[in-house]
Amino acid sequence: MEVSVIGNPQTKKIYRAELTYRELGFRFGSQVISGDSRNRVSFLTHQSSKWKEIKIRSSPRSVRCEAIVSDQAPFLKPTPNSRSLESVKLFVGLPLDTVSDCNNVNHLKAITAGLKALKLLGVEGIELPIFWGVVEKEAPGKYEWSGYLAVAEIVKKVGLKLHASLSFHGSKHPEISLPDWVAKIGEAEQGIYFTDRYGKQYKDCLSFAVDDVPVLDGKTPMEVYRGFCESFKSAFSDYLGNTITGITLGLGPDGELRYPSHQHETNLSGAGEFQCYDKHMLSALKHYAESTGNPLWGLGGPHDAPAYDQQPCSTSFFSDGGSWESQYGDFFLTWYSSLLTSHADRVLSVASSAFKGTGVSLCGKLPLLHQWNKLRSQPSELTAGFYSSGGHDRYEAIAEIFAKNSCRMIILGMDLSDEHQSPASLSSPESLLAHIKTSCKRQGVVVSGQNSAASVPGGFERIVENLKDESVGVDLFTYQRMGAVFFSPEHFHAFTVFVRNMNQFKLSSYDQAVEGDKAKTMSIGSGTTGAASLQTA
Amino acid sequence: MSTVPIEPLLHHSPLRRTSLNGARTFLPSSLNLRCHFTSKKLHSIGRGIASGNSLGFLSSERRRSIAIRASSSDTAVVETTSQSDDVIFNENFPVQRIDKAEGKIYVRLKKVKENDWELSVGCSLPGKWILHWGVSYVGDTGSEWDQPPEDMRPPGSLAIKDYAIETPLEKLSEGDSFHEVTINLNLESSVAALNFVLKDEETGAWYQHKGRDFKVPLLDDVPDDGNLIGSKKGFGALGKLSNIVVKPDEPGADVQEKGKSSSGSTKEGKGLEEFYEEMPISKHVAGDNSVSVTARKCPETSKNIVSIETDLPGDVTVHWGVCKNGNKKWEIPAEPHPEETSLFKNKALRTRLQRKDDGNGLSGLFSLDEELEGLCFVLKLNENTWLNNRGEDFYVPFLTSAALPTPKTNQEVSDSGFTAEIITEIRNLAIDISSHKNQKTNVKEVQENILQEIEKLAAEAYSIFRSTTPAFTPESDLESEDEKPEIKISSGTGSGFEILCQGFNWESHKSGRWYQELQEKADELASLGFTVLWLPPPTESVSPEGYMPKDLYNLNSRYGTIDELKETVKRFHKVGIKVLGDAVLNHRCAHFKNSNGVWNLFGGRLNWDDRAVVADDPHFQGRGNKSSGDNFHAAPNIDHSQDFVRKDIKEWLCWMREEVGYDGWRLDFVRGFWGGYVKDYMDASKPYFAVGEYWDSLSYTYGEMDYNQDAHRQRIVDWINATSGAAGAFDVTTKGILHAALQKCEYWRLSDPKGKPPGVVGWWPSRAVTFIENHDTGSTQGHWRFPGGKEMQGYAYILTHPGTPAVFFDHIYSDYRSEIASLLSLRNRQKLHCRSEVNIVKSERDVYAAIIDEKVAMKIGPGHYEPPSGSQNWSVAVEGRDYKVWETS
Repeated sequence: MEVSVIGNPQTKKIYRAELTYRELGFRFGSQVISGDSRNRVSFLTHQSSKWKEIKIRSSPRSVRCEAIVSDQAPFLKPTPNSRSLESVKLFVGLPLDTVSDCNNVNHLKAITAGLKALKLLGVEGIELPIFWGVVEKEAPGKYEWSGYLAVAEIVKKVGLKLHASLSFHGSKHPEISLPDWVAKIGEAEQGIYFTDRYGKQYKDCLSFAVDDVPVLDGKTPMEVYRGFCESFKSAFSDYLGNTITGITLGLGPDGELRYPSHQHETNLSGAGEFQCYDKHMLSALKHYAESTGNPLWGLGGPHDAPAYDQQPCSTSFFSDGGSWESQYGDFFLTWYSSLLTSHADRVLSVASSAFKGTGVSLCGKLPLLHQWNKLRSQPSELTAGFYSSGGHDRYEAIAEIFAKNSCRMIILGMDLSDEHQSPASLSSPESLLAHIKTSCKRQGVVVSGQNSAASVPGGFERIVENLKDESVGVDLFTYQRMGAVFFSPEHFHAFTVFVRNMNQFKLSSYDQAVEGDKAKTMSIGSGTTGAASLQTA
Repeated sequence: MSTVPIEPLLHHSPLRRTSLNGARTFLPSSLNLRCHFTSKKLHSIGRGIASGNSLGFLSSERRRSIAIRASSSDTAVVETTSQSDDVIFNENFPVQRIDKAEGKIYVRLKKVKENDWELSVGCSLPGKWILHWGVSYVGDTGSEWDQPPEDMRPPGSLAIKDYAIETPLEKLSEGDSFHEVTINLNLESSVAALNFVLKDEETGAWYQHKGRDFKVPLLDDVPDDGNLIGSKKGFGALGKLSNIVVKPDEPGADVQEKGKSSSGSTKEGKGLEEFYEEMPISKHVAGDNSVSVTARKCPETSKNIVSIETDLPGDVTVHWGVCKNGNKKWEIPAEPHPEETSLFKNKALRTRLQRKDDGNGLSGLFSLDEELEGLCFVLKLNENTWLNNRGEDFYVPFLTSAALPTPKTNQEVSDSGFTAEIITEIRNLAIDISSHKNQKTNVKEVQENILQEIEKLAAEAYSIFRSTTPAFTPESDLESEDEKPEIKISSGTGSGFEILCQGFNWESHKSGRWYQELQEKADELASLGFTVLWLPPPTESVSPEGYMPKDLYNLNSRYGTIDELKETVKRFHKVGIKVLGDAVLNHRCAHFKNSNGVWNLFGGRLNWDDRAVVADDPHFQGRGNKSSGDNFHAAPNIDHSQDFVRKDIKEWLCWMREEVGYDGWRLDFVRGFWGGYVKDYMDASKPYFAVGEYWDSLSYTYGEMDYNQDAHRQRIVDWINATSGAAGAFDVTTKGILHAALQKCEYWRLSDPKGKPPGVVGWWPSRAVTFIENHDTGSTQGHWRFPGGKEMQGYAYILTHPGTPAVFFDHIYSDYRSEIASLLSLRNRQKLHCRSEVNIVKSERDVYAAIIDEKVAMKIGPGHYEPPSGSQNWSVAVEGRDYKVWETS
């Protein structure tokens, strides 16, 4: 919970200060606040605009968390109208290599200075990517949190919130791999990684098909993830619920819920390929085919899907009236996407049971697969695993899983605008984003935002547009990612302007409130915030 | 007026934000931002306050009460009452009072015996004095300092970079406040003058002479810039010094020149005279005092009795009010008031403290009603000096112990941690805004400060991220992006096929018509095969060579007029040669002195003030930010972090592009400022080609050049990286390694461990501008001359290798001309370019050989090499002393 003391609206630059009023002693968990559309509790009964309020507001998230803890309140839905940026909290991501694989904190001084700058700027918190390959590097069950704990302590000291991203994937830039012992197993036993039809393995993420197969020294990946979450919980128990307000679960490659349909190809001209050729995938497919009475369909993936660098419509699979619309297509895609959905469910339920009662919100990340989405088949989504039989909403099942596990959805690419896409890519990030948001809204899933990895022209403006969108309230935005570029004078200036724009927006309603001269400082409870002043000659 | 913030002992007490009535009270403590951020700002604001009539928030708006309870026992507690049971508050606040102490600096030159002289510098004030000094050698021009010879350095001296020495002044005797240092001078040495400034480490203040370094000439012909000491002129003319006030960048140090000097002077040695000079100085000395406050409940009357005692000297007035109703607002308590109390503007009371009976210090007693919650006060020493509690009002809470909530543990502190002050400040700000919304200006100022702090932190983060992120990705990565579109023009490389001609030397200004002379050579240079010509700095300059620019928009220089310049550029364009302007952006000579007599105010179209000057060079008292690079000590270094400076520079560059017709830039002394700004300038002026001079020393061990010069080239690559590759850089590394290889016959140096060229050209060839000599290293200066007689080996190397080669003017018009011409025509004929592939086939003691792009082979060194007689048919293209170049036919 926090109190915002909001400054003089007549000045352009606004600073918010978040205070922790622990002694105040009231909890939202026991109060019903859903009536207030902005989830703001005002301690003043005067509605006169002449009064200056000191507001205590709580985001829907924090309210919801309490609700989960008490296991009684229904899932609180975000409020659709009277949208303002006031309720948007801004987080900034730390560098992926914040903690080295020897558990050192990289760029410690830079991060410390950077965090202070962000705090002063009014940023709410920091996202910290925590890698499985760093923490449980050497041996199963041997966790080394020291580096990340040190970062958490810095964040706490600076007075920022922390959002931890538990990453069960590896990264290419910078190079962070899966734990050594997992890699060893991967070498010995083929088939734990996603594999494409050429037999090329994607070694930065385990295949969804082994989720419940005891491939990791007799344990299933889910059991290992659970152990990881539990260990995290106990190692960070002092921070959970106060400094750490959110946890993002890694759901797939780069933490996103998807198949690695492009593997590491940087050339995104194609729509990607299906990644269903590892041993376990193939046997699951075979099993599924046999159970649905089409054993011949279970021998492999679609034979007429285009290659990575081919245009989607260069072969028949994705074209209009192509295989994807056939019975076979529906069979395959239904199976392929069901694995994605069930993987999300498994990870999120492991996490929601592990972090139950800690007061942190759980999140999962969804990619914005906007390439080629003007094609009817939307092939990028299909290869990544998003499909729904009969032309239904492809995100509905996913949103349902998120809702079921009381998990928020982080949607990437909030900085992308249609006008900056190459017309040849037939892409429309804006409409896809709107679509996913709608699906979430229908299922009551709270949406958080994030920008795409590379900075794009007009990005900040687009983000602000998205955050102002009244139809679906985005109340948390994570900006990626701190580093040399982030703090370069050029970029940092733009970022500052962005933050200021958000803040200005926040105050629009407040401006009128202090028009009159009678504005006064009010006190909360019996505590005082009065400021003494003295004129001397 | 000024307020002196003092540090309370309880600065990080968990109880700072104490509670009233069991609920959380918001009592932000801690002080104004300026103190946290930079002391410099404090003073500038302090001055601002002094000049205007209004009181800045420093003394009024910013006051906050600080509540400190007796239960916080980690502070020194002074028991002042026997009824300790009733003591509800007892605190001893240390306070610092700033006094002005006056004394003198003296300089004495004494002859010990023939050619052995002694220079003593002393100071009569207490302090931790350091003499920061250097020397000028015979023949030095400009005001650069040099390191003195070893035997001149007194024991305990520390070398500061490569230009100065710091020697502490020693106490003359125990108990004496005189400090002195003596330097032995040997007139046999070629030291022409001794330069120094005095530094007080306690306060960080610098003491200069007439706003310049102190300068003691040891020879007659030392140029007098008005800052000589003891010279015949300066010595006799001390009356002239009366206007000298030095304002160091730290407060409280003035050197006022009303000094009398003298002592018998005798003519000796090279006209050197003994002398003794004194200059009065004043220094702000901090006095440590304390204020102890005790509050107790009187058992009979239930009144709160507050006793304030202090050992501050002089008159002390307590400026106070009381607090009621959980509110930190100052209110006037009901009468009766203590003795000697007056009402001040209905807002506060003023009570003069009485001298204590024992004569030691002052005290006052305040009896206040029991329902009051606390007493707030500040101390007034005189009209201009106030003491508060580290930016806060002193606050004495009257809580009875029953009302005290149980003390909390340390948890709060760990929560707040090290940004606590800043964050508190933001809170204060927020409150400030709400309670003083009319004080917009103040709020603005605080906001500016926060913004500046944010910028500072971000810049810090940036610089570290930049340096810790592996900057160098191997050549292939760096190159791969711009490799594909082969003839893409980029300002860092031009077309990739450029060959530079440095079109001047150190003497070119002498004729006064260099532009015209050069014009006449246009056809010749074009036919030799040059594509780019580098012209000397065109601006008005304090030094004739042009590297001490003054008015950037005045392009009449010793090389010719602006019209002649334009004509020259046109002429070269006609023969297909692009022209680079030599842009000196690091420093600029001032037009005017500031009030301290320091030259740091500019005139002309860019009439910047001292905000455009970096703050960390004590010689120029800039008010800008710290330099983003190294300082050049001879002129004010420009602070490129200032928006207005960058805007003006961009405009100027664009003007030069348009008005003069320059195609690009040679950037002088880019070590002096951050490469990111250069990128900015390149983006704005869109040059065809740009190259920066990033010249620092290679690594040597025991006088021997290291084989591995990766650190050196990394620094250059870092700089290019910072410009995002928008500019290339002179490959100083290659020049240095060529020196060692050729001079000592160590040709093995010319291949790095990976078999690549060991200079910048081995890592980032397209941004490396290779050269063997320029106006500084060679010409009549000869700071770092290429091994004599081996120049052609150097050219055989750079004109066949990747990178963009630059040929020095003097070499074109020398005996080497025809050989250079052959190499140039070979390079053009074989279309070697900045990204050509070099394959080193031999790097041995006495021979280095390489094949470039599989069509040119070369060897330098006395040793033997012949290109392989295989499928290719090699024929000798150029041949000379210890070098040979072949091409395929």
